[in-house]
Amino acid sequence: MASTIDVEKEAGVATAQEVNSQAYLSLHNGQMFTDGLSFSGHERDKLWLNTGAGFADLSALSGTDSPNDGRAVIACDFDDDGDVDLFVHNIQRERHGLYRNDVGGEGFVKVRLRATSTNPEAVGAIVVLTGPHGPTAQVLSRGAGFVSCQAPELVFGLGGQEAAELEVIWPGGVRESFGSVGAGARVELVEGSGEGEPLAARPRVLPDPLPPGLRLEEGDVVPKLAVLDADGNPRVLDVRAVGDGKPVMLNFWASYCDPCVKEIPDLQAIDDKGEQRVVAISMDAPGQVATAESLLARRGGSYPAYYLGAKADGDAVPVEELVDLLRLPLPTTLVLSAEGRVETILRGPIRED
Amino acid sequence: MNRLRIPIPLLLFPLAAACGGGEEPTAPPADKVAAEVPDAIEIAAPTNRVVEMEFVEEYSEEVANRMVDFADKLRRRDFGAAADWLVDDFAGHRFSDLPIEGEDELPLGAKRTRWDTSDAPVVDRDAFLEGLRAHVGPWKRVEAVVWKVKGAEFETRPLWGKVRLKILFQGTGADGGPRELVAWAEARFDKRAGNWMLARLALESLKLESRDAFLFTDVSTSTGVAHSGIRFGQPGNDSFAWNGAAAGDVDGDGLYDLFVPSNQRNFLYMARVDDAGRLAFVDEAGKRGVDGPSGGSGAAFFDFDRDGDQDLALADVGWEGAEGTVGGNPLRFYRNDGGSFAEVGEELGFRRLCYGYSLVVFDYDLDGFLDVFVCNYGRPKAEPNNSWVDATNGMSNILFRNDGGKRFVDVTEEAGVVDNRWTYAAAAADFDLDGDQDLYLANDYAENAFWRNKGDGTFEDAADDLGVRDLGNGMGAAFGDLDNDGHLDLYVANMSSTAGNRILRRLQNQDEAARSLTKMAAGNTIFLCRAGDGNGAHPSFEALPAAAGGIGGAWAWSVALADLDLDGRLDVFNANGFVTGDTAADT
Repeated sequence: MASTIDVEKEAGVATAQEVNSQAYLSLHNGQMFTDGLSFSGHERDKLWLNTGAGFADLSALSGTDSPNDGRAVIACDFDDDGDVDLFVHNIQRERHGLYRNDVGGEGFVKVRLRATSTNPEAVGAIVVLTGPHGPTAQVLSRGAGFVSCQAPELVFGLGGQEAAELEVIWPGGVRESFGSVGAGARVELVEGSGEGEPLAARPRVLPDPLPPGLRLEEGDVVPKLAVLDADGNPRVLDVRAVGDGKPVMLNFWASYCDPCVKEIPDLQAIDDKGEQRVVAISMDAPGQVATAESLLARRGGSYPAYYLGAKADGDAVPVEELVDLLRLPLPTTLVLSAEGRVETILRGPIRED
Repeated sequence: MNRLRIPIPLLLFPLAAACGGGEEPTAPPADKVAAEVPDAIEIAAPTNRVVEMEFVEEYSEEVANRMVDFADKLRRRDFGAAADWLVDDFAGHRFSDLPIEGEDELPLGAKRTRWDTSDAPVVDRDAFLEGLRAHVGPWKRVEAVVWKVKGAEFETRPLWGKVRLKILFQGTGADGGPRELVAWAEARFDKRAGNWMLARLALESLKLESRDAFLFTDVSTSTGVAHSGIRFGQPGNDSFAWNGAAAGDVDGDGLYDLFVPSNQRNFLYMARVDDAGRLAFVDEAGKRGVDGPSGGSGAAFFDFDRDGDQDLALADVGWEGAEGTVGGNPLRFYRNDGGSFAEVGEELGFRRLCYGYSLVVFDYDLDGFLDVFVCNYGRPKAEPNNSWVDATNGMSNILFRNDGGKRFVDVTEEAGVVDNRWTYAAAAADFDLDGDQDLYLANDYAENAFWRNKGDGTFEDAADDLGVRDLGNGMGAAFGDLDNDGHLDLYVANMSSTAGNRILRRLQNQDEAARSLTKMAAGNTIFLCRAGDGNGAHPSFEALPAAAGGIGGAWAWSVALADLDLDGRLDVFNANGFVTGDTAADT
């Protein structure tokens, strides 16, 4: 756990003991963390796919590369759909991350084990599946990685193969073949039986999450919102009053977001028809409000438009409490009933081009 | 702001207009004037170089922290504000509208687009930022922007630096799929009015990786496990006894449940399926008796008494305080009685005050009852590590033998595994296929150990023989076959350090100590098992060269080896990061 300065000093400037007394102790006394400083922070979890020729870093495309300082990792097919999901225990605010693997398909074999000559849970058994790229060995562990204990089940990918040979090296060293197992199989391998016992498939659904950044679900009522107008004056936006008995489209947009700017005429056309009212809230920083306002005008947007930065006002909540500004995909449009209830959440442009 | 050069045509313009009479001349306002851009970006090496390493590092850190604030503006796509980080007469290569050099196919339908940057046009500040906007403007969301200093040298007077940058934009494209834009560049930073300003940027490479959808979906909120705690460092979340996680079927319903110890409260997430087949987790830690005392590091589910249900062992950090008081918590053992737990550590002989982190459950003596190995660290507050490369003042690890499911007996000494290094993690497997399980240990501040099980109830350290000493800040270890030869390979997670590497590269004198430190800062290691003979006996290990990838983590913690894309090869997932504070800057 050497810090920058420690490594440097170890290289000849100071002794380890001298370093101990300074940077190291302040680190472990935790003062810097109480103060909210980072130390090897903002480092994201890593996912490398084995290509056979090496490991491809797909962290950024994986959706699992959280910056929340992960510690423990559980790789387990929680939903029994045949691919391995990931649970990560972080030390930061968003402490528990569960990531559903969306690879899917039937190209897997799932194995549970029961030993008869040694420990019944078969901890330590090595299962070898001969797949398209040769044999793959996995060990059934209970405790590996760092402060992590995996579930007692092994998942093998078949890489498009229809079936594969399974062999177990049981604790104690006895090797046993279990013959060929087909894609999509879930089997229990009992020591001495020589044949896999099929287990019923019980796929379950890990439900889709809320859209990132939006703290409203379909069915929720949009509260009164504290917003600023283009001149920076605080306003209270009540979508029910704006709609005046008609449904409302609440559009989150920003001047830097090309698809948002592009759809301004579409939104205006909807507003012009008069069956629905359109209200826009811009995610632009205060310094960009003028740009946003002029863009809106240039594109012919004359529906009510508001901006961030207002303080709570009575029962009106700032827009910032409704959305996570950095996580909200833009544009996002909420289709509201006349009562202000969220009926549909449109992620991306309202119309596909 | 000082404008260094005013273009000549601008000076002539009012004069010419005045001569023409007619309309009122309107020169563009000064701040709208584009600075003259050079034909090419050339960033010479400093001639009077700053040589003192501490100053070079200090300036590097200053530039790095300036770039953190700049990146934050770009993440918010506030290009107007971002302009303040560039000098008025900035010139750099445009990022947009470059010819495509090639497209590569990545696994799972992901692709990489590479642009030819060799003839990238040189543009002024506004056009440069516009080039960035052209890439990330259409994105739905920008998740992260990083401008990382990968190397730097500085000129003494006036103070400026030639800096190598890795530039990264990560987010979600207009189609909802992931995007990662990566550029490498050589930049010149000038110190003006006390601030480091980006003055020149020469683009070396630019590529975009993308896919039509993320591989995984974050379902934490929709499955009930999204626990939003407090930032690390605040009261209630300030313990260095890093909390772990364990999966097991607690109630025998065939679904895997999760035990997650935590500083403030422990969680036992029981998997539940509703009528529509949806899986969610419900915390029943209190109801099932594993809620207190809260906290705990490594946890492991296993059936210690062979009664058919999953019991739970929990490691923790505890010590004897003054006058018999107890600081922290002891090791605990929860016996599963019909789905509820009773803490029976004391009666089983498992209760112990130690600096416990990872737990490894294995049957080292093949008696059919699972034993427990406790990885013990040191306690820095009481006694800091006595070396950065060979620390021996941690607490010895403990091997608990399970005697017939009745009690645990400390056999650390008789098994020959007394070891006072600072052990964070271990992994067990019969790597040499002689029938018994061996144990690899990841140590912090020291080399690692490979306890080869001799089959007679004792172990010997074979790390030297096997070539797996792996000097580094060991944080985690796991076995799995990474090269499809049917033999278990070894993945070791270590701490790597950008700053450490940056400093070490500057060392002129690469002596033994420097080489050791370079190894320590390098990151994770993949050791491939080479079978000694056809049956896998007498194997040895060989480190996979860094060029093969898979090891360039950061401050790495747990690692899981699993076939995530079901292609028949085991992949790697590795948790990373020490402590992220409220500040975007890093120490």
